[in-house]
Amino acid sequence: MKYLDKSIEEIHSLLKKKEIKPIDLVEEAFERIEANKELNAYITLNKEEALKKAKKLEEKEIGDNLLFGLPIAVKDNIITKDLKTTCASHILENFIPIYNATVVERIKQNDMVIIGKTNMDEFAMGSSSRTSYFGAPKNPWNKEKISGGSSGGSATTIAARDVLFALGTDTGGSIRQPASYTGIVGMKPTYGRVSRYGLVAFASSLDQIGPMTRNVYENALLLNVLAGPDEKDLTSADKEYEDFTRKIGKDIKGMKIAIPNYFMSDIVTEEIRNEVEKVKKLLEENGATVDYVDMKYLDKAVTLYQIIAMGEASSNLARFDGIRYGYRVDSPKDLDDLYLETRKEGFGKEVKRRIMVGSYLLSGENAKTYYNKALSIRDDMKKEFDKVFENYDLIIGPTTTTTAYDLTDPMDDPSKSFMDDVLVIPVNMAGLPGLSLPIAFGKDKMPIGLHIIGNSFDEATIYQLASYLEKKLNLDLNPRKDDEHV
Amino acid sequence: MKDKLTKEEVLHVAHLARIKVDEEEIEKYQVELKQLLNDVDKIKEVEGYDEERMIAPWQKDTILREDEPGEMLNPKEVLKNAPKHSGNYIEVPIVISESEGA
Amino acid sequence: MSNYIPTIGIEVHCELKTKTKIFSDSINGYGQMANSLTNVIDLGYPGTLPTLNKEVINLAIKAALILNCKIRPVMHFDRKNYFYPDNPKNYQITQAETPIGYDGYVEIEVDGKTKKIGIEEIHIEEDTCKSTHRGTKTLLDFNRAGVPLIEIVTKPCMESGEEAKLYLEKLKELLFYSDVSDCKMEEGSMRADANVSIRKQKSEPFRTKAEIKNIGSISNVKLSIEKEIKRQEEIYDKGESFPPQTRRFDDKLNDTVLMRVKETGNDYRYFPEPDIPYVHITQEQIEQVRKTISMLPDERRKTYQKLGISEVNAKKLVQNRALSDYLNELLEEKIDFKTAANLLLGDISAYLNKMETEITKTSLTKEKFIELTNDISNETLTSKNLKEILTTIMESEKSISEIIKEAGIQNITDNTAITEMIQKILKENQDSVVDYKNGKDRAIKYLMGQVMKESKGSLNPKMAMAILKEELNK
Repeated sequence: MKYLDKSIEEIHSLLKKKEIKPIDLVEEAFERIEANKELNAYITLNKEEALKKAKKLEEKEIGDNLLFGLPIAVKDNIITKDLKTTCASHILENFIPIYNATVVERIKQNDMVIIGKTNMDEFAMGSSSRTSYFGAPKNPWNKEKISGGSSGGSATTIAARDVLFALGTDTGGSIRQPASYTGIVGMKPTYGRVSRYGLVAFASSLDQIGPMTRNVYENALLLNVLAGPDEKDLTSADKEYEDFTRKIGKDIKGMKIAIPNYFMSDIVTEEIRNEVEKVKKLLEENGATVDYVDMKYLDKAVTLYQIIAMGEASSNLARFDGIRYGYRVDSPKDLDDLYLETRKEGFGKEVKRRIMVGSYLLSGENAKTYYNKALSIRDDMKKEFDKVFENYDLIIGPTTTTTAYDLTDPMDDPSKSFMDDVLVIPVNMAGLPGLSLPIAFGKDKMPIGLHIIGNSFDEATIYQLASYLEKKLNLDLNPRKDDEHV
Repeated sequence: MKDKLTKEEVLHVAHLARIKVDEEEIEKYQVELKQLLNDVDKIKEVEGYDEERMIAPWQKDTILREDEPGEMLNPKEVLKNAPKHSGNYIEVPIVISESEGA
Repeated sequence: MSNYIPTIGIEVHCELKTKTKIFSDSINGYGQMANSLTNVIDLGYPGTLPTLNKEVINLAIKAALILNCKIRPVMHFDRKNYFYPDNPKNYQITQAETPIGYDGYVEIEVDGKTKKIGIEEIHIEEDTCKSTHRGTKTLLDFNRAGVPLIEIVTKPCMESGEEAKLYLEKLKELLFYSDVSDCKMEEGSMRADANVSIRKQKSEPFRTKAEIKNIGSISNVKLSIEKEIKRQEEIYDKGESFPPQTRRFDDKLNDTVLMRVKETGNDYRYFPEPDIPYVHITQEQIEQVRKTISMLPDERRKTYQKLGISEVNAKKLVQNRALSDYLNELLEEKIDFKTAANLLLGDISAYLNKMETEITKTSLTKEKFIELTNDISNETLTSKNLKEILTTIMESEKSISEIIKEAGIQNITDNTAITEMIQKILKENQDSVVDYKNGKDRAIKYLMGQVMKESKGSLNPKMAMAILKEELNK
């Protein structure tokens, strides 16, 4: 039984002809997850409910929905009704939500089956998923390596081919960076493209939910389901339905592409720069123009990110106080004790550090010096991107500065996790869509990702270029040896 | 530039954040928080600060909701996740100090 | 003796009269079962986001208009961060930087002179949940969490408790009449804080101020300010000083008591609320709201007096919103408004009070009221007769003329019958007739008395007098 290695069209056709049932896919997914247990991709499995749902789908007409009956993994900071949602934190270890995120509703309406909740950095704060209260997930290409973060569990389960679809969230690269480290396709849509209702907020003005998949086409298919306006989220964009696959397969002749010099500076390993150069050549050979451009502010993005993300996080995470939900310390001696002890014990180190710095950055006059100034520079940075998009269709560069590093690398440098995301953060700052596409493997046999950035609400053109390259490069992206599996 | 926050500074932010810190942690935070603050201090080098600020990247008019009631929770659901409750109420240890807010 | 000049500023929190909460669509209600009017947004559940109630913006615009404020065309919300169990997200969504209204005023009458009370700003925010203290625990009810509020802040421009009282009375009347709020202080839908400081001369900078929080009634605002002024005077007279502080009014002690000494200022870590983009208010929207403002109290009183209603009755009518609204629907009619006001404030009010009902819930339609007013003003119906048929008027669907007819009052307004009765009385009182003819004025009063006695008071006196004179002069 290896249906999940087939193309989505093949699976759909088998389901349609009733040669297989949704439950076959769901059972296979759980077998694979079980076999890959040591990857630690999941915090909670939804086995019983998933099987029930699959059974129920047997009574339903499949129609033309390519996603019908397919298992999907959901990052554990996305709220699922009656299914534990922990944010990989002790403070929500036993939290069972009483409502659904908008994206979860959409997945359900499209008859996909939620298979479980994936591992991540605690409250999405981190870049290696090692801040998870439940231990870090492991990279399927090399179990000694990180899967990246914060959507490390979702990246892992896709890379390992447990399931075809996963949801990630991206505040400062948390979809694209792990996608790059694990050799999968990860898209952070334009801010506002996908509703944030039900996404546990880390940094509200940056957070965005996006699809993580094994290939470009399936990624666009999943975005078709996720995207769209939501009256429950005032920051969701008033853009009607569009088919994100519509440009896939189209030629790229005449396409104008920019590479900011900063993205190819010596902060990136030579090996990765070379791979991006190769892509540049390939594109030029096929009729696209690729120019190096100078862009202001890119080198300041991490600083802006630290200020905005930590500032907002300190406020967003204030609600975890042990009163209405979540962990609460036993018999606090008074109210202050309830707050202090609950939050001390409930949050992990990285989260506490960020909350404290964020509180400091907003306190007294600091709000003006730091946060408000960061918002102002952020506005300038967005305008800098707008300028580039006046002349170019897309921006490309490497997704990460290195390939995935060792799980045992030290974690005690508080700046390190931010620097891992130096190339992906500017996109969150400007609210733009960005995708990571596997383009090569390093000497360490670990995947290398290309970062493709589009203009606001132009995900379709990103998919066009990504699928073009995917086809041209034709990499073997399945780390699984056949004998490892049933 | 000093490379450590003072103990008082750490205690102040820990109080704002309502996170208890013990002696050992204070020392660690003195260094770690300072490092992050040094990082963000780079913003001071960036020129240009005007009133135009991005409070949400996708800036449009806020679409206002019509004033029509929707579904509500029943008190049982409200209490479901509350670690401590009594009757229909969520319970906390007695609040002595007055609210700082409105 | 006092030779200090007090300076007083007032902050009022006022719950807006909407159907739903400000950031969620759960019901804005009072007095319901604990935690029965909430949803995940009100409880600050992880992942939830605010939406913004249109009516809140409209009511805030309305408040800004009636308080003569400027209205900001682009505004945003801010987060005020502080930990407290009544604050579900541990931040409150408010407007710190861009209050919707600013730079307005309210006029009050102080000792016959008009004084403008400056309004610094009006901003929109959400209410907190309600906490009740029981023994060693505090119980939380989130029904009030997210109820829309406006906070109205005056400039420090009042100089006495009396002025503060007059301001609050005026403010309450305005907000109530424009349907912005219920303004029920006893239910907490309107709450006042007072900032008080004193100094010797106006050229002197302001001295230390004390804030008196959450005062539960307008009379207590006045009282607490007066007590506070006295307290500060006594301190200064002793050559002492006091630190900035927050106090509250204690009903039992009838005085203010210290709550806490203010530290170096609270650190609320305000920043723009990223979940709510900029809100734009157009001139068109403002004009639309302006159209929904009903006639305000000052104008009502003026209009009533112009229509011949006494000052006292004009004031009384405005104190009773339902009657005033009822009367306002008749302003275009050609009726005697003095009579109309007397009717509304007299017999009709008595009936409404006794029955504990409202005028709009009775059968007294506008048409009936007009007919009734006319009958009284042209004296075809006496007040005595009215008393007999009032309940029927208020409760039956029949017209006034029908009711009068059925009550048998109709006959007495019949001229022939009256004439016959008067002729009979004159015959029986020939002496008085002679007295009258000899110029004795008292005789006609006596005769009239007899007429009224005979008719048991059911006659229209004017008409009876006319007929009587006619008969006497025959």
